Amino acid sequence: MRRIAVGTEKGGYLLTESSGGTWMVEGPQFPGWKVSAFGETSGGEHLAAVASNWFGIGVHISPDWSQWADLGAPPVWPENTGRAMEQIWALHRDGSRLWAGTSQAGLFTSDDDGRTWAPVDGLNEHRTRDQWQPGFGGLAAHRILTSGEQIWVGISAVGVFRSDDGGTTWAPKNLGVHPVDTADDAAAPEVGYCVHGLAQDPRDPLRIWRQDHRGVFRTVDGGDSWQRIENGLPAGFGFVMWRDRASGRLLTVPLHSDENRVPVEGRLRAYGSDDDGESWTVAGEGWSEAPQFTGVLRGAFDGDDDGNFCFGTTGGKIWITSDGARTWRELQPAFPRIYALSIVR
Amino acid sequence: VSARIRLPSVLTETIGVGARHEAAGETLGEVLDDLFSRVPVLRHHLLDEQGRIRPHVLVFVDAARADIKTAVGANAEIQVLQAVSGGRSES
Repeated sequence: MRRIAVGTEKGGYLLTESSGGTWMVEGPQFPGWKVSAFGETSGGEHLAAVASNWFGIGVHISPDWSQWADLGAPPVWPENTGRAMEQIWALHRDGSRLWAGTSQAGLFTSDDDGRTWAPVDGLNEHRTRDQWQPGFGGLAAHRILTSGEQIWVGISAVGVFRSDDGGTTWAPKNLGVHPVDTADDAAAPEVGYCVHGLAQDPRDPLRIWRQDHRGVFRTVDGGDSWQRIENGLPAGFGFVMWRDRASGRLLTVPLHSDENRVPVEGRLRAYGSDDDGESWTVAGEGWSEAPQFTGVLRGAFDGDDDGNFCFGTTGGKIWITSDGARTWRELQPAFPRIYALSIVR
Repeated sequence: VSARIRLPSVLTETIGVGARHEAAGETLGEVLDDLFSRVPVLRHHLLDEQGRIRPHVLVFVDAARADIKTAVGANAEIQVLQAVSGGRSES
């Protein structure tokens, strides 16, 4: 019996597969609230980051994805910054420490499973901050990778930052990526890059794949330099970058372009690479022949390293595979715009 | 002065608190501080980082639009509502 937690523009939902292959829907949980990210505590409890257009944000905890409790003290900006917290974009756990990436390009940590949070000033008040410009979704710290004392954070529309000292000091790491607001291929400003998705090889943490506003890239030196890897992709734009831990396969879902954030010709497909990103092909079969003019956002993709993958669309539909991305099918239920998916393990 | 406070269901159902409360104070700000001392989770949902009522939250004292400094009379009825303006998504 598989279960999938779904975070949408209006509420959270829990999908449970029945013996007949149909899916039962529980919800909406957090009715009227955006569910923007999922996470887990060091004790294996589940976390949901929620945001209201009226009432700020919250972090909720659950033992079973069904009964939720507000933890009460989500990450908020210090009063003297003048910033307002609108949304948590990512929750990431490394051991007993939780990291939250937020709106206004904030990074926060919690060492008590989300009950209290502290801002990471070395990044939040970085010397380049006055040059940071928001992307379409605002200034957002939305991707967090960790490996020991090294931490990588992706910020739209600023770029990737790396800390080599556990989060005290940070440096932008975008050399080789095309900046977002210039036609000059040779331009290499410190910031002004629009990273969308990041995936890391846990066996070689300096090897990271990047779905960027300006294309798909790979680094083998922890971000000191990036190389473009788009051979076989119908477009360089998109939000998702996923690496399957078991097989090493990379997956992304290309979209047409910045100005047209739907699949090329409506052909919604995941693309996979089994050679480290050197080449990409359509991942499996079962895709709709009818046009699917819908997008897939960065948090709306999940895999369980056991052959199960799923993604949700901005049109509120969910695609799943249980055989390592060889055959896909679309689930019947429809939801609001999907921001986050989590296969229940 | 004791006031009766009603909160909207879109807030109370998600954060798991009751819709009706009582709190005391001479001004709306004092009443809210008293309310937050009893139900701490409400503070950051009703106020922003600068201690102001959130931009798309409406508070009425005895049916009149109120701010933090509004005087609260005896047995006042305080209603918190979500403003229609907050229905717009930011993303």
